[in-house]
Amino acid sequence: MTTPTYDAIVIGAGHNGLAAAATLARKGKSVCVIERNATAGGMARNTTLAGGIKAPEIAHLLYNLHPKVKKELGLGSPRAPLEVRELPAVSLSEDGYHAVIRSGRAELADGRPHPEAAAFDEMMRRLTLFAGLLGQLSTKSPPSLEGGLASLGTLTELAGLAKLGLDLKRMGKKDMREFLRVLLSNAYDLILDDLEDGPLAGALAADAVRGAFAGPRSPGTVFTLMYRLGQGGGAQLPMGGMGAVAAAFEAAARAAGAEIRTGASVARVLTENDRAAGVVLEDGTEISGKAVLSNTGPMAAMMLAGAEHYDVEAVRRMRNQRCKGTAAKVNLVLNAAPVFPGLSPELMAGRLLIAPSTSYVERAFNPTKYGEMPANPVIEAVIPSLTDPEVAGGGRHVLSAVVGSVPYGLEGGWDAAARERLAAATLATLEKYAPGISALVTERQVLSPACIEARTGAPGGHWHHAEIGVDQILTVRPANGMAHYRFGPEGYYLCGAGAHPGGDVTGLAGRNSALQLLKDGVL
Amino acid sequence: MTKHVPIGLIETPFQPRLQALSTAKSWTNWAGYVSPGMLDTVEFEYFAIRNQATLFDISPMHKYRLTGPDALRVVNRLVTRDAAKLRDGRVGYALWCDEEGMVIDDGTLFRFSETDFRLCCQEPMYTWLLDTAWGFDAEITDESDEIAALSLQGPTSFSLLQDAGLEAVAEMKPFDWREIEPDLWVSRTGFTGDLGYELWVPNGKALELWDRLWAAGGPWGLKAIGFDALNICRIEAGFIAAGFDFQPVHTAMRLGRGRSPLELGFGKMVDFTKGHFNGRRALLDQQKNGLRYHLRKIEIGGFKPADGALIYHKKKREVGHVTSGVWSPTTKRNIALAEFKAPFGDGITDDLWAEIYVNEEGQWNKRLVPVTVEDKPFFINSRARATPPRPF
Repeated sequence: MTTPTYDAIVIGAGHNGLAAAATLARKGKSVCVIERNATAGGMARNTTLAGGIKAPEIAHLLYNLHPKVKKELGLGSPRAPLEVRELPAVSLSEDGYHAVIRSGRAELADGRPHPEAAAFDEMMRRLTLFAGLLGQLSTKSPPSLEGGLASLGTLTELAGLAKLGLDLKRMGKKDMREFLRVLLSNAYDLILDDLEDGPLAGALAADAVRGAFAGPRSPGTVFTLMYRLGQGGGAQLPMGGMGAVAAAFEAAARAAGAEIRTGASVARVLTENDRAAGVVLEDGTEISGKAVLSNTGPMAAMMLAGAEHYDVEAVRRMRNQRCKGTAAKVNLVLNAAPVFPGLSPELMAGRLLIAPSTSYVERAFNPTKYGEMPANPVIEAVIPSLTDPEVAGGGRHVLSAVVGSVPYGLEGGWDAAARERLAAATLATLEKYAPGISALVTERQVLSPACIEARTGAPGGHWHHAEIGVDQILTVRPANGMAHYRFGPEGYYLCGAGAHPGGDVTGLAGRNSALQLLKDGVL
Repeated sequence: MTKHVPIGLIETPFQPRLQALSTAKSWTNWAGYVSPGMLDTVEFEYFAIRNQATLFDISPMHKYRLTGPDALRVVNRLVTRDAAKLRDGRVGYALWCDEEGMVIDDGTLFRFSETDFRLCCQEPMYTWLLDTAWGFDAEITDESDEIAALSLQGPTSFSLLQDAGLEAVAEMKPFDWREIEPDLWVSRTGFTGDLGYELWVPNGKALELWDRLWAAGGPWGLKAIGFDALNICRIEAGFIAAGFDFQPVHTAMRLGRGRSPLELGFGKMVDFTKGHFNGRRALLDQQKNGLRYHLRKIEIGGFKPADGALIYHKKKREVGHVTSGVWSPTTKRNIALAEFKAPFGDGITDDLWAEIYVNEEGQWNKRLVPVTVEDKPFFINSRARATPPRPF
């Protein structure tokens, strides 16, 4: 049997794998994407619950889809249709004085201005300005000095860095100082410098640590908050569920000419003379390619090629990567719309946050450190069926909840009973803000970080494949010496969230990786 | 009060014998063990190496055992040469590098079989070996405190072994490695470039071995020696020493202090065809982009040892320095190992001068003496390789 030769083989049809494939295929390269699951999309897939109800299986909102990726891949165009709705964020309060963030401005749920609106405004102005500044670095391989100052490549990268420095200066002395002051500090201090510790502050704190093994008092959480604010901090609900986003990426890849094989698992990456040469599937089929891109976590990517192809230091860095996921997913089918006292129907369809204060968010993380289940977790919930009735129907609704501070390494391990406890803690927490909601539940799906790892391969079930922290960002993401997506043997690239710039459905890691591969002249 | 952790230098199993022989009371710290700098005088000890037989305690050397189905793969992942080409019962010199291709350490690799190796080296290497073996079916054991070893070197060493009842070593070629008696392994190796053997026993049998050799040693002029005399011989033989001729990169704190095997002149010890090994990609890059330094053997005019001397091109431009320099009593030459900034020392080898300071009864004089780059070891004698060794 002769197997086709591709220019590039992409392992994993998560959105980054698809973005990489589309980017390469658009440049006329023959690309084959291989996906273990029956459907493409990774964490951005829909799941079908009893009665044909569609729910976003893992991810449920778009926060950070990068406009460049959107434009280049034609997401939202007839080629790859995608319709989204901007959602307001509602930070729930037990006393009914819910804080609402709409287009970056704070108000109260009853429409009155929020007493801290001005302070919040100023803080958001600064943070989004800073986030935009850092965002410049997200669309290219991070700068490094590996080539030495005499190399053209290094100088080009430095030019990017110089522009950042220039833009930094252009912000003015006051903002520049503030940027440098807060960059590596913690979200808790930053937020409470300007806001009272209430739901509004809690919402920011929760956004800063979602998916991270960190509390708002952990250093580096200002950076993660800025990361979250990369595209302004809003959240969009894809019509048709998160699966529609996956479908758009898939359509873009196919339209560009990429081939996608689902239900095929890659056993290992073939190398010849220290060059990637293709992959071997679990069933023994060999597929040859001039380059291989892996959308798996960094460690898994290394093990696919074999640790013997990596220097001892690189292996050590991979072994010591921080990737303990803390985000679990609970999907609830409700036989009627729940009631959140104090919320209008419009706000009920928004992004609902249970993060009544920064202290609450910090305390929620305490048990996580010790592998314990949080009794009062931080929750980000959305009821997509309120905006998009097609996903449920028959008066039923879906509540999709990302439950934070849930340890990947739960003491005693993740079994059915542990998931049951997680569901109970989630419902008990929701019950405080939506009394009677438990009685509406007809079905539930609980995915622990361990389940998410099993379903998607994301290491530790981690939102970003690898913790976003000063030791694991930019030139040291995924690790020192690997920041240019090149991953060991020549022609082998990392294209997933574990690479720069990181997770969220941005499409950047995949796109950047593909562009770096083209730049390296591997094909 | 009981001491739970020993403080100060540790004694090797041979210390009772060395202690009794030491008139110089010159002790040095070798990897945390007490080791003689000299026992008598450097001159007596040096000439004993080249004309008689000498015993040097090499127990402080770090010794690691690599065993298991993947032992060969781990060794090949570690070192730059191809250990698959090393036959069972053979010893090979080896270097290993970090990811940047800089030498971590060098040492000797003893192959029992494809699944069993011993690595002897200067620097502690246990955690590095554990990291190297990660993901492989191989076990690393630190044998440093279990195996004692003596280096028996000199032209009469074979005759001495015969008299000690170890005539079975007769057929051993240089770099052979045999279990001559139960629990006594002998390798025809050494750090002198001369005829010599290294004898390896469990710690408990150390003194028994010493006494056996000592008893047979009288007619053969056996003398116990320290490092100072050995150091002269190893420079004569052109052998590099860690910490002198290169800085083991894991112990260097400043950037750029590491040196690659190519820069140390061991290009032939780097096998790029055997598959990936640590630092391979960096070494390929270095080979492509050019070496930064050349470590060379040099002869220096005059007779004043030039250790540490700076080397100039055309008496003007500083282009290197001596890393190990000594007056060689046997070859009657002023010899050294020296590091040059490329292309000096390899591409450019003429008009090189060493700057030597001479203290003449309280008055310092500076002299520039000519430097000649050499390819061959300074001391070469066919007795080092003859098999069976010629009786003395």
